[in-house]
Amino acid sequence: MFLRILWKLLGASRGRLAVALIALTSGAAVCSALLNVNLDAERKLTQEFRTLGANVVIAPMTSGGSSEAALEDAHVLDRIAALNLPRIIATAPYLYVAANSGSQPVILAGTWFDQVARMNSWWKLEGGWVTSRDDQDHCLVGFTAARQLGLVPGSSVQLRSGDRNVSLTVAGIVTTGGAEDNQILTNLDSAQSLAGLPGSLSLVQLSVSGTPREIEGVTHTLAENLPGLDVRPVRQIAAAEGTILKRIQGLLFWTIALILILSMLGVLASMAALAMERRRDVGLMKALGGTVPRIMRLFLAEAGTLGALGGLLGFLVGVLLARWMGERIFGVAISPRLEVLPITIALSIGVALAGASPLRLLGRVRPAEILRGE
Amino acid sequence: MARPVQSHVQPLVRVEQLEKSFGNVRALDRVSFEVEAGEWIAIMGPSGSGKTTLINILGGLDHPTGGRVVVDGQEIGNLGERELTRYRADKIGFVFQQFHLVPYLTALENVMLAQYFHSITDEKEASEALARVGLSDRLNHVPSELSGGEQQRVAIARALINQPKVLLADEPTGNLDEANEAVVLKLLHELHHAGHTILVVTHSQAIGNLADRRVELEHGRLARISVPSLAKE
Repeated sequence: MFLRILWKLLGASRGRLAVALIALTSGAAVCSALLNVNLDAERKLTQEFRTLGANVVIAPMTSGGSSEAALEDAHVLDRIAALNLPRIIATAPYLYVAANSGSQPVILAGTWFDQVARMNSWWKLEGGWVTSRDDQDHCLVGFTAARQLGLVPGSSVQLRSGDRNVSLTVAGIVTTGGAEDNQILTNLDSAQSLAGLPGSLSLVQLSVSGTPREIEGVTHTLAENLPGLDVRPVRQIAAAEGTILKRIQGLLFWTIALILILSMLGVLASMAALAMERRRDVGLMKALGGTVPRIMRLFLAEAGTLGALGGLLGFLVGVLLARWMGERIFGVAISPRLEVLPITIALSIGVALAGASPLRLLGRVRPAEILRGE
Repeated sequence: MARPVQSHVQPLVRVEQLEKSFGNVRALDRVSFEVEAGEWIAIMGPSGSGKTTLINILGGLDHPTGGRVVVDGQEIGNLGERELTRYRADKIGFVFQQFHLVPYLTALENVMLAQYFHSITDEKEASEALARVGLSDRLNHVPSELSGGEQQRVAIARALINQPKVLLADEPTGNLDEANEAVVLKLLHELHHAGHTILVVTHSQAIGNLADRRVELEHGRLARISVPSLAKE
């Protein structure tokens, strides 16, 4: 009989309940979308962060003051690759060589362009990129160095180090906002030949995805497997990433709380009107011997059912909303997370029950007054 | 016509010096009378004489200001809300002038609602109760699809479904045309013959004449208790 009455109650005040359901569905949809975004934001944001430069550096130990010492073992790259750590997005070895272009001193950085491109997609480029790791004829010139040397894309540049020379064609001018603005970047082998240090590296830059804790984990693994080398995270970047993630999650949390409160106010307005409509029914039920808890269970079950339905509909709408938000914000759709469904339904039921608080006032209805028509 | 009243048995309803005030207005003023089990009592009097107040107190819908009301050995003046609710469910059947059916429940569900608040629902028993009042073909109709007389018969079936000790009816034919009034009175008559104790608030002399006794109120006071001529016969 409980379910029978409940079903009839849901059909009895369709208009008011529809308004409450819309409020619940809207609130649940935004919550579901934001929860989906929240759960996926960390992954998406850390992917975004990985285009903002290296966050782990492997360099020789600085003991004895020989910080300029090159990594003697170029096979360090093979050892990193052998670890097969999936969180390593890009690995860029660097060898820095003090060279001269005519009478102007300049730093030549030999590296792997394909890896540099993966971890520095935000660099501004005038001209073209050097697409192949094995291209020994072209170079990229930092913005400041290009101005000092009078270089433009297509220019030739002669570099000398000791008694060795190399001639390169400028493919593009890069603006990085960092030390690279003062350097010429070229193929690693070319730099090693010019320096007369085949197989040597100054350092290795890594782009590692994940939370600050996960990055620490990768750093630890690398340190254990590369004894004698200094493996350290770029702390400013890791800390900034952590702070941004925390702030975004805080923003999402408070937005969800605000939406739920607004949704509850919508339900509250509908339920207050419904409570006035139901006074006569409650008076009659009390006259028939219905206890307050038993009558209230009916109305709260009605509100709870409405909440569950609103939560379910809201989840489905929220998935679409999250997909749209993901495409707008991150450029890719956010995949729906099933664990958001029970959370959304539970939140929506909670909002519906809180919004149904005016129905509790029905417990105070005096049947004699109602039946007299007061 | 009326069932003989056994005067030596304990009265089913005892009202002693009953008082009820609403602020400065005294609705009932030291009213006393008794009702035996199986009696049909008509409570009569002009508007504002306290008839509905009396029946509300007897039905546990209102609290007396003074005096005592004992129904089936239970003094109801001292009962708390929870006990009064149980009292209404167990011992009282209500029939109202306005029918007071739940508009979104069918005739059958309205009867089952009283079962639900009393104990457990029994659809077959509820159907039979409606069949007894001639509504076996109206089980699944909502009140808006029933005539006034049919709605009142649903209310009577609902009032009787839990076998109450007392049936309280407040102007049960007040909203009915003559034909439906006759149907409802016939029903009450049959219930009386079946041994039900009935207290009916009415303005109608015709209904008053069908009762075993008439309790007449004026300005909240008991004016007289009389036995209608039909009952004497």
